[in-house]
Amino acid sequence: MEFLLEIMTEEMPYSHVKIAHEQLAAAFHHELAEVRIKINQLRVLGTGRRLVVLADLDEKQEDREEIVLGPPKKVALTADNQLGPAALGFARSHQISPEALTFFSTPKGEYLGYKKKERGRPTAELLPEVINRVLASLSFPKMMRWNESLGKFSRPVKNLMVLFDGKPLELSYLDWPVRAFTFGHRLHSPRPLQVRSFREYVETLRQNKVIIEPEERRQIILEQAKTLLRTCEGELYPDDELLQKLVNDVEFPLVIMGSFPEKYLTLPIEIISTVLREGQKLFSVVKGGKQLPFFIGVADQIADPKGLIQKGYERVLRARLEDALFFWEQDLKVSLKERIPQLGRVIFHEKLGTYLDKTERLKKIVAFLSQQIGEKGILKPALMAAELCKTDLLTEMVREFPSLQGKVGGLYCRAQNYPDSVAQAIYEHYQPVSLEDASPKSLIGALLSIADKIDSLVGAIGLGAEISGSSDPLGLRRYAQGICKIILDHRLRLSLSRLLSKTIDLYGQKLALSKKKVVEVCLNFFMQRLRFLYEKEGFRYDLINASLGAGLDDIYLSYLRLKALEELKLSPDFESFVLMVRRVNNILQGQPVRKFNPDLLVEKAEQELHAAFQIIKEHALPLIDQGEFHRAQKMTLKLQGPLNNFFDNVLVMVKNEKLRQNRLALLNDIRAFLFQIADFSQIVLDGERKNQKAKN
Amino acid sequence: MALQDLIMNLQKFWTDQGCYLAQPYDVEVGAGTMTPDTFFRVLGKRPWKVAYVQPSRRPTDGRYGENPHRVQKHFQFQVIIKPSPHDIQDIYLQSLRACGIRLEDHDLRFDEDDWESPTIGAWGVGWQVMLDGLEITQFTYFQQAGGLDLFPIPVEITYGLERLEMFLEGKESIYELDWSAKVSYRDLRWLEEKEFSEYNFKAADIDRLQAAFSLYQQEAQKLIDQELLLPAYDCCLKLSHLFNLLDSRGAVSVTERVKLIAQIRSLVNQIARLYVSREGEN
Repeated sequence: MEFLLEIMTEEMPYSHVKIAHEQLAAAFHHELAEVRIKINQLRVLGTGRRLVVLADLDEKQEDREEIVLGPPKKVALTADNQLGPAALGFARSHQISPEALTFFSTPKGEYLGYKKKERGRPTAELLPEVINRVLASLSFPKMMRWNESLGKFSRPVKNLMVLFDGKPLELSYLDWPVRAFTFGHRLHSPRPLQVRSFREYVETLRQNKVIIEPEERRQIILEQAKTLLRTCEGELYPDDELLQKLVNDVEFPLVIMGSFPEKYLTLPIEIISTVLREGQKLFSVVKGGKQLPFFIGVADQIADPKGLIQKGYERVLRARLEDALFFWEQDLKVSLKERIPQLGRVIFHEKLGTYLDKTERLKKIVAFLSQQIGEKGILKPALMAAELCKTDLLTEMVREFPSLQGKVGGLYCRAQNYPDSVAQAIYEHYQPVSLEDASPKSLIGALLSIADKIDSLVGAIGLGAEISGSSDPLGLRRYAQGICKIILDHRLRLSLSRLLSKTIDLYGQKLALSKKKVVEVCLNFFMQRLRFLYEKEGFRYDLINASLGAGLDDIYLSYLRLKALEELKLSPDFESFVLMVRRVNNILQGQPVRKFNPDLLVEKAEQELHAAFQIIKEHALPLIDQGEFHRAQKMTLKLQGPLNNFFDNVLVMVKNEKLRQNRLALLNDIRAFLFQIADFSQIVLDGERKNQKAKN
Repeated sequence: MALQDLIMNLQKFWTDQGCYLAQPYDVEVGAGTMTPDTFFRVLGKRPWKVAYVQPSRRPTDGRYGENPHRVQKHFQFQVIIKPSPHDIQDIYLQSLRACGIRLEDHDLRFDEDDWESPTIGAWGVGWQVMLDGLEITQFTYFQQAGGLDLFPIPVEITYGLERLEMFLEGKESIYELDWSAKVSYRDLRWLEEKEFSEYNFKAADIDRLQAAFSLYQQEAQKLIDQELLLPAYDCCLKLSHLFNLLDSRGAVSVTERVKLIAQIRSLVNQIARLYVSREGEN
């Protein structure tokens, strides 16, 4: 049966609506399951003023059978095996006839009892309680109070309408106004509207200038824009975030196209589009990657016959572009190099010093990185990029549009004729700002970005920043993931622990935690973030563990190891090999390990094993170092024959202590070698996976 | 319609809504929110309805009278209603209609914009109201002031008078606005903008400003100790303005900024707490 719930509010921010949609869906699923009401379908929709839940629910709760236990068998029965007073009393107190009683075996023995049948109650009866619990569970990053409500919410709640099977449901929640009707568009049709079904709801709202389906509003916007853009042969500069916000903010979209004077086209597209987006929520119009002097806006309107809205937007936009042009021209009067000393006046962090201090560290980290990856040729431009990368924080443009930091630096750098590689690196040194964002394209940009992020990360962790739980106000996860992503994208081979150590040293006495502690916390953190990235890429968890278990000092190696493992697991010998490794591990467990001495090998099988191991090791180690894990692993699989032979023909735990310890030492060397390829003990074989899942 | 007509329309509208018509406060403030008619009256339980024009000074916004949109002093029309009526958004829309705006022809939006003033320990939840892409009003449900949770919740509506008038007159420069039929905004304000920009950015003496800051700070604390809360609050307004001047002289580093704001806020919080406890006694 159809269930429709609409919460009308004053205009909610898109970020809150998104959260509310997720929470509403999850909470209804949870609460309805609690009371055994089957959901055939459920979805959330709406606008910035309406949170709507539409569902198809069963008419009543599922029936339930429950076993009610009474006294134990020996208490229930009399000496002649008849139901005794305890049994009869139990039946009486549960208002059932003694014939309905039977015995049930339980882990504690046999008990008297009966099967209680409970008929499901009508859904309509249970819904008010369910809705109350769902509404009480909603929460937002910032909540407010208003006078008509005892509770808090994202914005004031104006109306609650709930229909079940076409009829208004009676309920109350706090002192929210509950009505059997909704309202139309705030300006165009603010009257009460009564509906009896979702279909009627959609149509009635449409007549009253509200398009309730977000997807439909989105399509309207895109199609109207397309039509308008035909005249200038341009296209929208894609901005999904802005589109989502606008789809949320308007109930009846009307696309507006306008223009601005061509003289502002001297500004780079990044700046124009930011002025358009951040100031007035407008889209840029481009053609072949070049900005055209047009914009696309979305109004909450039916029509703009006199062009008043268009003219209004154009007037405000001209003023904003004029400001931006003024900033651009003013900023360019001072070269970025001249600005460096002023960085000493801008605080990076109260306890970690100024941006000038940071700049000095960045130079050293970048130098360290380029040396690590053996690219000394880039040192000069890399140092220049590091030296200049934060100077744009001092410009009017970044003060006005903080989201353009880095990009503005890169643009000014180019305009002031610094080398292209330097401009490019500065432009992209905040990237990637999210998992979806691209890594810097240039190698120098990549190194500078790693340096910037590791510096901030070490600084925060060194001061004892908490990185547990879901909140991450300093964006530390983003930093760590960004570093991992860059390393993988650029296939950089570098030692994470040395990078950490270098960065910590550069901070000198400023950090609160000891060097050892900072390294430990950071490595753990990287381990966690890398696991998250790998899981997101769809790798099996036990393979991830096997790869990371073998160490993550070299992040790119850990990735290659993981990729190779994924191929290896398809090989027919894989399973028996893993079992063999386990056998080696098991036999070594708790045994003291001495140094291996080849002269003490007496049996043929152990000599053969040793010889095979030597050859394999000799060939495999260089491969491992080059990241050729697949070949190294293939080679290692060849140990299986000699190992089998060894276990079949040689008694490891012989009485002779010298021989025994030497055999253990040989196995231990093999184990240590295997560990460089992967921590095979983490692998869960196919037959075991089910059990493992069940346990979890 | 000239700027003074807009003011009179708004005054008429809000006094009809039962607001008392206050006159601008005579100490420099950065926003209408900071005057005693808002700051003290949103505290505590007593209902309050007020409307007034408040000249607001933001020294760093000075542009020597050369920028058509930015000025170091502008005029706000401030409305406070406590408790906020449940249909306050609609009442607000009527006020725009009363100013002659046919909303049916325009794009009016309540766009997420929460407000916060660290100096007076205040924050609220609300929107910037956008009319055809122009921000004309800040609309806020106050949640805290002086570091205290507020209840009942006051609503604050702050119109940017110049912005609104530019919309009404369809002008592109603030200086082209008509204050009255005969007097332009340029006639009244241009010289002031030019000279004050000179003062804010160059002439103001940093040492004396700093000395004054310290003097007013001491005075404020002394007055608080004597429970002379209104005069103590005036000192805090002075401090806030001195801070803004120091800032426009480029004499406030980032750490210092945090420190100075915290100092003012601590004084304001003391005043708010004492004021509320005093109301409890009456």
